[in-house]
Amino acid sequence: MLHLTAWTLGRVFPSTAALPGLDAIDTKPFIRQLAREAPFTIRATLWASVLLFNLTPLLTLGIPLPAFLLSPARVDAHAQKLSGSNIYLLRQIVLMLKTIGGLAWGAMPELRAKFEMPAYPEDSGRWRQS
Amino acid sequence: MSGRHVAFQEGAAQAFDADYVVAGSGAGGAAAAITLARAGFRVALVEAGPWRDPEDYPSSMYGTMRDMFADWGQLVAMGNPLGKDAIIPIVQAKLVGGTPIINSAIVVRTPGDVLADWRERFGLGDVFNEASIGAKQDQIERELSVTETAGAGMGPSGAAMLKALIDRGAEGHAIHRNVRAACEGAMQCLQGCKRRNKRTANFLWIPELQNERGGIVLSCAPVDRVLLENGQAVGVTGRWQHPQTRQKGATFTVRAKRGVLVAASATGSAPLLQRSGIRLPALGQGWRAHPGAGVVGVYPETMDMHKGASQAVASLQYRESIGIKMEHLSLPMELFAARVGGAGQTLMHKLEDYRHCAMWVNAVRADAVGTVKQNWLGGVSVTYQPTKKDLERLRTGSKMIAEMHFSQGAYKVLPGVFGMKSEIGPDEVHLFDTAPLDNRCYTWVLSHLFGGCNLGKDPQTSVVAPDLHVRGVRKLHVVDAAAIPTTLGVNPQHTIMAMAMVAAERLVGA
Ligand SMILES: Cc1cc2nc3c(=O)[nH]c(=O)nc-3n(C[C@H](O)[C@H](O)[C@H](O)COP(=O)(O)OP(=O)(O)OC[C@H]3O[C@@H](n4cnc5c(N)ncnc54)[C@H](O)[C@@H]3O)c2cc1C
Repeated sequence: MLHLTAWTLGRVFPSTAALPGLDAIDTKPFIRQLAREAPFTIRATLWASVLLFNLTPLLTLGIPLPAFLLSPARVDAHAQKLSGSNIYLLRQIVLMLKTIGGLAWGAMPELRAKFEMPAYPEDSGRWRQS
Repeated sequence: MSGRHVAFQEGAAQAFDADYVVAGSGAGGAAAAITLARAGFRVALVEAGPWRDPEDYPSSMYGTMRDMFADWGQLVAMGNPLGKDAIIPIVQAKLVGGTPIINSAIVVRTPGDVLADWRERFGLGDVFNEASIGAKQDQIERELSVTETAGAGMGPSGAAMLKALIDRGAEGHAIHRNVRAACEGAMQCLQGCKRRNKRTANFLWIPELQNERGGIVLSCAPVDRVLLENGQAVGVTGRWQHPQTRQKGATFTVRAKRGVLVAASATGSAPLLQRSGIRLPALGQGWRAHPGAGVVGVYPETMDMHKGASQAVASLQYRESIGIKMEHLSLPMELFAARVGGAGQTLMHKLEDYRHCAMWVNAVRADAVGTVKQNWLGGVSVTYQPTKKDLERLRTGSKMIAEMHFSQGAYKVLPGVFGMKSEIGPDEVHLFDTAPLDNRCYTWVLSHLFGGCNLGKDPQTSVVAPDLHVRGVRKLHVVDAAAIPTTLGVNPQHTIMAMAMVAAERLVGA
């Protein structure tokens, strides 16, 4: 699931000539952290979205194969069509992937540098214990 | 007279005593607690979330969802998602100091028409009126350093919106915020202002309550139930919860001689009363909001949403005529990525324009009424959908915002409406007129929430009587957004804080 999630987020946020995407970095540490820290509902919704993204090329492209077996161009067409699907819940899948993927993408130091924004310092996560 | 702070605890049950206990330390809870503490009462403030100091606030949006948002922002308002209803995210914080720590710090006085309406329809004039609310709002503005946004706080997107409003002949203003003039416009309002420029209770009122007024603060301490004995509230109980692992800790009980004030927010207070065994016909009913959605303009020059305050400019021009409040709202890149349409290469090409994008939003003074309740899984369910009329309001407002973007030189607009073209040019603004009236086609977000324990005279339609006590129970009060019986059409924190202070002061005098 870890590899499939990383691959899927990389397809939703692929690199372009101008911008690095999530396929340019190893998102597995991010996904592991999320799996460790996020509540069950968030994790379950993410895993379900990854699975549905991969199982729906039949609906978008008429191809009875999982997305991870398609060529890069076809996966891209699938991602785009899914995000514009007439079925609301399918659109929500992409929204979930964008919401979670966006957290990793927007924090990429190389991307922030491109936009002339400072890299984020580490979040301490501290709170008052007494 | 120094008090105590007790964070997450394991092991044996712990008990505390106070004059008053306040459950929830956000806009309403903190304001009520400090008022009671200054009057000499020993107050216990019990908060579900942890106490974070500004130095420890996160910078990234991942950290913000993890450390600041209530349960990672997973609460949503739903109708029937298999039918025609949308899933709408509800944003709130779970922290000592509550949602004001992550909010945009916009301070707007309670409009006179709202108070007049409450007087006429709900009989609230004796308690909440221009004089009582106004006096507390003066005090809040002084104590929280409310100033008009200027200088670096304005940012290019805010400045463009202000000019667009002026060019249109519409009212527009730099927002008043509980932010010191030193604001550097780092666009970190949502993550919490690490520079302490945003003045919030977690480093002002709550330390005062603990260090100078002998108060007790329990953090990481979600209240499970209000303790009721012989028709009277006598305290609260719950179990500490670790803010990272969510593991349950020891049981706590706080007994309060004089009374219990509930301030767990519009999504928390009604469920808390329900869990406590209170059964009133109106409990959990009458839930309202200002659903909001934005329109993005793409400009030839950089608009750099990361510069300036998260929100710097607003317009009240259409509050009464249409039922919308327009605001500039800058989003961090992480959230902007989810707001922009498409996926894959199409999405990325749009995101290449991030520095050239400005987003302006409409907060709708919605007619929609929903419910909030404790669900069988132990969580909270909110049922709420904007009405057709609300969608029309948004559509009208979105069209105006698109016109405003084009008036300032945007070369395209991203309407953010499914069923419309994903990008429109200056000649295509009319397409908003036929945009679908379907909630599933808009990226609604709910952040101004009201009701569930509505104030009023009629026992059938209200939970809290005009003297602020919960009907049928002695010494139990609701002092947060949950008690507000209507939408306001303006940002609510100032009203919530002032109402909580007025309510607390009445207890002092009683
Ligand atoms: C992103 C965002 C931006 C906003 N911007 C503005 C703005 O600029 N201006 C404005 O006026 N308003 C703004 N608002 C709205 C405003 O912040 C809220 O209306 C206001 O904070 C609500 O006050 P409250 O006391 O009802 O709830 P909150 O401030 O949410 O406080 C409730 C507290 O109770 C705690 N709690 C919940 N359940 C329990 C329990 N069982 N036991 C103990 N504690 C519990 C919560 O953890 C929370 O800390 C914004 C909101 C958001 C989300």
